Order: sequence, then C-alpha cells, then structure tokens
Amino acid sequence: MSSSAQSLGQLEAARSLALGESRYYPTIIPGVLPIIAYNGQGGSIDIWRWGADFLAETFASPAWPLDEKAKSALAALPILRDYLLEVQDSTVIKSAVQAAASIYPLVYRHIIAEPNDTQTWQVMLAIKTNILRRMDGAPPGVRICCVKFVQQVVLVQSPGPIADPRRPEQNDISLTLVPRDHRLIPYANQEAEASGLLDRLLDIVHGDHSDALLITATLNTLGMLIQRRPIVSNKILNSLFNFNPLKLANAPMTSKNKVLMKSIERTTRALLVNVMRRNPDGPFTRQIQQYLDRMHRMRIDVLDESNRKRPAPVEQTDGTDPAKRQRLGPQTVPTPPTPPIPALPAGPVSYRELFTLSTDANTALFDVKMFQDPEQLLRIVVPVLHSIDEAKLTNAINIIRSRYLTLSKAMPRAPPSGAAGATADDDEEYEPDFGPIEDAEQIINKLDSAPPVTTLPERIPDARLAPYKLPEAPPLTEQEVVRYGDMAVRRVVEILASVDEAPTKAKATKAGFNRLAASNYDRDSWVTVLCRLATRASAGLEDPDAGIKSEYGGEVQKGGSLVLSDSIRDAIYNYIIRDWKRRIDIAISWLTEEWYNGQILAQATSNGSMKNGVNGHTPSSLAVNGTYKKSVLRLLDGILAYIEGTDKVLVRFISEIPGLDRDILQRMKKMAEDPERIDLAVMVLKYLYMFRPPVRTICVDVLEDMWRTNDRAKPSAEKILKIWRPEVLREGEEGGDVKAA
Amino acid sequence: MADPRLARSRPQQQQQQPTAAPPPPPPPPPMEQQFGIDPSTDASPQQGQQGDAGDDAFKLKFCTVCASNQNRSMEAHLQLARAHLPTISFGTGTLVRLPGPTVHQPNVYHFNSTTYQAIHTELATQNTALYTQNGLLNMLGRNLSIKGFPERFQDWVPGKPRLEHAEDQGFAGTEAGVVDVIITCEERCFDHVLDDLHNKGGKLNRPVHVINVDIRDNHEEAAVGGQAIRDLGLTLNEAATKEREVHGDGGWERGSGPARTGFDEKVPDLIAAWQERWPNMPALWSLAWF
Repeated sequence: MSSSAQSLGQLEAARSLALGESRYYPTIIPGVLPIIAYNGQGGSIDIWRWGADFLAETFASPAWPLDEKAKSALAALPILRDYLLEVQDSTVIKSAVQAAASIYPLVYRHIIAEPNDTQTWQVMLAIKTNILRRMDGAPPGVRICCVKFVQQVVLVQSPGPIADPRRPEQNDISLTLVPRDHRLIPYANQEAEASGLLDRLLDIVHGDHSDALLITATLNTLGMLIQRRPIVSNKILNSLFNFNPLKLANAPMTSKNKVLMKSIERTTRALLVNVMRRNPDGPFTRQIQQYLDRMHRMRIDVLDESNRKRPAPVEQTDGTDPAKRQRLGPQTVPTPPTPPIPALPAGPVSYRELFTLSTDANTALFDVKMFQDPEQLLRIVVPVLHSIDEAKLTNAINIIRSRYLTLSKAMPRAPPSGAAGATADDDEEYEPDFGPIEDAEQIINKLDSAPPVTTLPERIPDARLAPYKLPEAPPLTEQEVVRYGDMAVRRVVEILASVDEAPTKAKATKAGFNRLAASNYDRDSWVTVLCRLATRASAGLEDPDAGIKSEYGGEVQKGGSLVLSDSIRDAIYNYIIRDWKRRIDIAISWLTEEWYNGQILAQATSNGSMKNGVNGHTPSSLAVNGTYKKSVLRLLDGILAYIEGTDKVLVRFISEIPGLDRDILQRMKKMAEDPERIDLAVMVLKYLYMFRPPVRTICVDVLEDMWRTNDRAKPSAEKILKIWRPEVLREGEEGGDVKAA
Repeated sequence: MADPRLARSRPQQQQQQPTAAPPPPPPPPPMEQQFGIDPSTDASPQQGQQGDAGDDAFKLKFCTVCASNQNRSMEAHLQLARAHLPTISFGTGTLVRLPGPTVHQPNVYHFNSTTYQAIHTELATQNTALYTQNGLLNMLGRNLSIKGFPERFQDWVPGKPRLEHAEDQGFAGTEAGVVDVIITCEERCFDHVLDDLHNKGGKLNRPVHVINVDIRDNHEEAAVGGQAIRDLGLTLNEAATKEREVHGDGGWERGSGPARTGFDEKVPDLIAAWQERWPNMPALWSLAWF
C-alpha cells in the first residue's frame, strides 16, 4: 500500500507540474500512462481512480491544443478500454466515460485522416460499445456520463456546418468531414447511428420523471446539440415542445417530488430561453415563447392547486413554500398559558390599544407629556423599572405577542402571496435584458437590508388616523385643460413609441379568449386604449345641439373633450404616418374602432329619436359615421403620398378596414394616375372584387372610370374588365373606332 | 501573484523548505525524467497539507455564486472553506454593485480586476461612517481575507488551472479549475449559471450539480444562508465520500440496497432532506455540464 501511496505522490507532482504549465502534458502523459494502466486484480484501486480522473481532466483541459491532445489520446485509449472492461468501480467508470467522451472526437478525426488505422478504431469501438451497453443498466451516476458520451457521438456523427472550407482544421469535428467512401466509418451508417442515439436521448427526457438526475442531465446536453448541429435542432425542439416537465404533479406531492418537478421545469426553461436568446429571429422563437407561457401557467396551476388542497395539518410537505413558513418561524416561540387576556376592541386596532393591558381607563389615558421636567421623570422611571416583576413583564409581553399574532393571522394573507406573485413576475420579465433590472434588484437589496421596523404598520393599514385632505387645486382654465390634455396624449404616444422599440416577441403569442383588450401594457393594448379614448370617450357629447345647451355652462368641458378626442386622433394619425408600413395594423384597429363607434352611435341615436325625438333632431347615420370616413380618407391621402408600386401592404389595408365606399375607392383611381402605381391600384380593386362582394359594383365602376379616363391604365384595366364588364369594352372599342376614324 | 509557479510554491514552503520548487522554465525533455523518478516531490507534504485541511484525500469541490460575489457567495465561500471544503466563488451580474449613498447611486465596479482592497479603500475615503454603519466595510474586510477580487461566472473558463489563486481560502483542491457542485444564492443566478453553461457548451464532459438556495441579500440572511450552505456542502461531501468507500475495495457487486445508490442519484434526496431542515430557503437543482 505504501508503494501505491508513493506512486500517488509522484503522480500528483506530475499533475501539478502540468497544471502549472500545460505544455508539459505531451511529455508527462507517456510517463504517467504505464503507472496508471490496469495491471490485473492486484493493482491499486486508488491508482486507477487517480488515473481515470487524470485522463478525464487532461483531455478536457482547455489549456492545451487539440492537435497535441489527439496524439496523446491514441496512447490513452487502451487504458480507458481496460478500465471500462475490467475495473468494477463506479468512480473509475464515471471518469473513464468522461475521458472517452472528450477523446471520441479526437480519435474520430484521426480515423478520418487515417482510414487504415483499423487497430485504433477497434479499441475505440470496444469502448463505445461498452459505454452504450451501460446506458440502460448502470447506476444513475454512471448513466449520466454515458448520456454525455452519447451526446458527443451524436455531435460528431451528424453533419455540421462548414466554417471555412479552406482551413479544415478550423472546423468542428463532424460527419461533414468524413469522405463518402471511408472504409472504417461509412457515412450512411454513421449518420443512422447518430440519429438512433439522438432518439435514445430524447426517449430519456420523455421517460420516468422520478429520475430527475438523468432527465436534467440529458436536457442540459441538448442545448449544445441545438446550437452546433442545426440539422438536428428541429427534431430536438419538436420533441421538447411535447415534453411535460410537470409530469410529477400527478405523483404524491412530497418534498422531494416538489423539488424535482420545479427543477425539471426550471432546467427546461433555461434550455429553451438559451436557444431563444442565441437566435432571437430563429424560426422557433414563437413556438418557444408559447411553450414557455403555457408552462408558466401550468406551473402556477399545479403549485397553487397543491397549496389549496393542503390545509394546515400537512405542514412537513409544505416545506418548499417559503413565504408562509418564514413569517411564522420567529413567532411560534412557545407561549406559556396566560391568564385571560383583556380583549381587544373589535375592528381595526391602534398601537395604543394593542399595547394597553390595563383595564383602568385613567391609566390608559395617562399622557407622559405631562412631565415637563425630564429629571423628575427619571426619578420616577428608574425605581419603577427596578421594581418590575419579571414574571409579570414576561406575561405581559406574551399577551401582546399573542394579540399581535392573532391580529396578523386575522389580516388577509396579502403580503406573502403578493411576494410570491412578485417573484413569479420577476422571472418573466428578467429574461431579455440585464442592466436596468439589476439596478432594481440593487434597490430591492438595499430595501431588504433596511431594519424591519415597518412590519406593524403594514399589518394594520386601516388603524384610526386623522383624515387628511389634499388642499383643492385652483380650477383650470379652458386653455390649460386643452394643454394638459395634449400633454397627456403626447405622453401616451411616447409610450407607444418606446414600447415599439422593445422586442416584440411577446406580441407573437395569442392569449386567446381569456384576454382583455388592454391588459398587458404592450403596444397593442396602448393602441386600443388610445383608439377608444379618441372614439368612445366623448361619444354622444358631439351632438350638434351643443350650442343650444351652452347656457348651462357645459360647453367648456364638452369643447375640451371634443378637442381632446381630435387631438388624440391627430396623434394617432401622426404616429401611423411616421412609419406607416409597419404600423398599418394600428391604422386598421383604429379605423375599426371608429367605425364600430359610429355604428353604436347611429343605433343609439335612432333608438333615442324613436323614444324621445323631442328636439326633432336625428343625426343621420351618415353624419355619425362621418368621423370614420373622414379618418379613412385622411389616412389614405396621407399614405398615398408615400406609397410605391410595390407596397402590397395597401391591399391589406384597404381590404381590412371595415367600411368602403365610392369616395374611398376613387382614391385608387387617383393613385393610378402615377403610371408606376397602376398595377397596385388594379390589384387592390381585383382583390376587393374577389373578397369583398358588397363593394363589387363600386370596384367595377371605379375600374371602368379608370379605363375611360386614364390611357396608361387602359391595358391593365382592360384585362379585368374583359371578365367583369365586357360590355363596356365593346362600347369603348366602338367609341375608339369612331375616334380613329 | 503574476507567476503561477511562484504562487504554487508558496504554501509548500510553509510546510517544508526543500520542496519540489520546479526550476523556472525548464526544458521539457529533462522534466519528463524528473517527475518520473524524482523522490524530492514526495507525497508527504501533500498528505500533510491535506491532513491539516481536515480529513482524508477525497473531497467534493464547491463553487458559490451570487450576483456581485460580495455578500452571499462570499459568506458561503468562507463557511465552506472553514469546513475544509475546496471552494471558489463567483458573481453573475454584469458589474459588481454595492449600495451607495442613496438607493439610486450604487457603487459600481468591474469584475475580475477591482480588488476587495481597492473597493474597501475607496469606500472608506468616500464615507467611513456610512459604510461602517451599513456593514459594507466589515464585509469587504472579510472578503479581502478570503480572496483577491470578485470574479464573474461568465468569464470563468472551467478547466483552466487556478494556481494563481493559491492564496485564496478554500484553494486546496481547486487547482484544476473545476468543481463538483455549484451553489447559487438566488433563482436569477441559477438561471444565469444554467444559461452560461449552455453557452460554454459542455466541452469538458464533466457533470456538475447546480443547486440554488434562495437567500435574501442582506448581512443577516447571508450569515444564516452560509450556515445552510455549509450544512448542505458537508452533507453532500459525506455522501460522496461514502460512495467511494462502499465501492472502494472493489465491492460494487457486494453492496446491496441503499449501499448501491451512488452519490449523484442521492443528491435529490439529500436536497429534499436538507430542505426540511432549512424550509426558508427554497431549493432548486439541476445536473449540468462543464
């Protein structure tokens, strides 16, 4: 044994030499290998363990170059094989498998270059077979290492991207480097094997979740495959989208299962977030986002439900719920049985009531401020303090304590659940950026370290306090109202602009039916808020009777709100025009809101006029929908100034706005006066003809008009008119003939 | 400190004067011979050093991580190092942030370059009373006794030897720059660590248990959290040592039942049991790869 200890010392010295200066590795390894080699049952397990660890460490080390490693790797192969075949010690096996995982790509590259080195490849194959055999039966600690080995095999045996064809040594070692006619590693077999092994990895993920070790280990190997082998990323991600990290929710919710479930979920999330962050514009971003959202909701469901299902008695299993336990910790100090406690008055309690034990009203109302002279107070207090009965004091403290406890229990459980909610939100928000959030975190940290003096006031928010009234502000003049209104509008539009710049990933997800129109403060909800403010807020106040009512002094306000909604409209208009191509969706939702509001108003006024047409004043629906039309025309005119023949977004715009009429479509004719935009105009009309049948006639009319008045538009218009209204053409031909004649 | 060889030789000199002290840049070929047969690099100094450190040869290696590598991770670093466990520590923030005169004026420093000593000096000149009162100077004083400067997790190259850190507490065992367990002190750091390990790409093929222990960032909680982490570290280390003993004398076949479960698969159970002892620090865990 002493000889083994001595060799260990020497080996350790060699290792520290190499750690200090990595260029010694190539010279040290040949010296070390004979010492650590498996030499029959008589050998020392300590040496083998050291050897396996050393090989794993050495071939993983980033400190020396791959080329050098590759040379030494060939010499180390037989030792690894012997370890795996002969030594029955899981520590040795674990490290040997790790070393094999690091060596596999090196040997693979060697074999690509040396197709005749059958001997080396045989040894490598023996190692590989041995490890693959362990995949299913070995103890979990070994299996995870096998999983990593398999990941390396999949990595190496799948085609990878070529970074620079002129410098093959720069490339990732992958199947791409293997010539098609390689005799030791035939391309097709290699690829098939990799695909099969990848399936095995994915099967593990979908397998038994009580084995979280294996699951998280596998999940954590997938990230690198997705990243470096785009060719398989599709398969992996699709498999992950079907993965349910909360499978264990059906198992008994023990402390262990809870940790496991949370851990698996968190690991999955970290993996997907990483994929998304590396490639934010990738094809999967939307799906990943949806998956993460779904998972988030499921997690809340599962954990909340489990909280609801477990009432107080099952305390132990509640161990992972910190918020509830934390507060109770210091308070559950055993309280000795106390004499009857003077009851607290019902309802909210003030500090004084909380701390008052004496039933004598006079004592309770005693005000210390009576003592003008501090000296006198001292003379009284010091002897009183001396004479306090300790038991009584303890008792009194306990009474207060238990009062406090009942009070805090009686309070709604808002603070803890609020905190839990905050952390959940936190998690969602934190993903995209680092800087500002850390500032916020810093602030929170600072607040955390502040002494916790304020806990009591929080608990009794509605204790009796003198009511405080803000002094009333002086009334605003009309101009001020308008100015402040404008300022408010401008600020909201600024919000829009700033939300715009933020990544619009979240926009991609559809919340479905449960969504409210404006619940999540993204661009769309602000747009909705703005549009509705513009259209609905002042609706009904805009009746033409305003002048008549002015005697009641209501005009100022109405005028204000009218101005306000117009200035909001202006703001929306400007906002859209500034980047109309990208904001066409906003335009559509705005106009839809306008139209809808017009309809509602029309209904209301027609009802109103039927019930009480007192003034005999019934604004026609045309007048009501005037705002809609005015806005459409204004926007259309604004856009037409910039639009180019290739901007198909116009087709979308025209086809999606809710109401069309002749005036609007006449704009197409006008647009067609620019020869470059004729095709676009025709395209719009054609589209409308096909998909908005109610305006068919108008479309054809406009087209006909175009055909008659615009020579350059004739050919394109003719093509379509031939189908829709051939009689016009015939007529035109005759007319043309006459002219020609 | 610049020369790793000097750093490495220092602790050995304390043990025994005529230590190996490898000749400064020696030509490679002679070295090969030297290490093979040189009796001067005897095992005894190594053994002795580790004996001082606490117990026998095998130990799990730990890494503690918080946002700024100042409070929670350093308290835990100290606790683990005092328990004679090999430990290194990191922060995952972009910058080292410490409270400043107001909430909105934090003191900000760069990772990997600003020493604890420098920060201590700066804050002491800035406002001794304030930073004494809020415990920052005390904390920095402790930190500079543990290691030189805050390190950023994302800049760490696992597997790169850390011989230049020979003066750090808990250094023994972390020479090779890898660990077996990473303990983070808040969920955000846990996420950062998993994310960064994905970015690092698992090139070492070496498994690492990443465990999160939620600790609020103040001095009191950090002290409690440090004890909890020390408890966790010792528990894990004990289990890992046992695994080696059970299987030690070639007895894998002989073991049965619980004796056959290895360290890695025990980790979830150990964490669950630990969680019941420390219910206020919710745990998360994942097996990741260097």
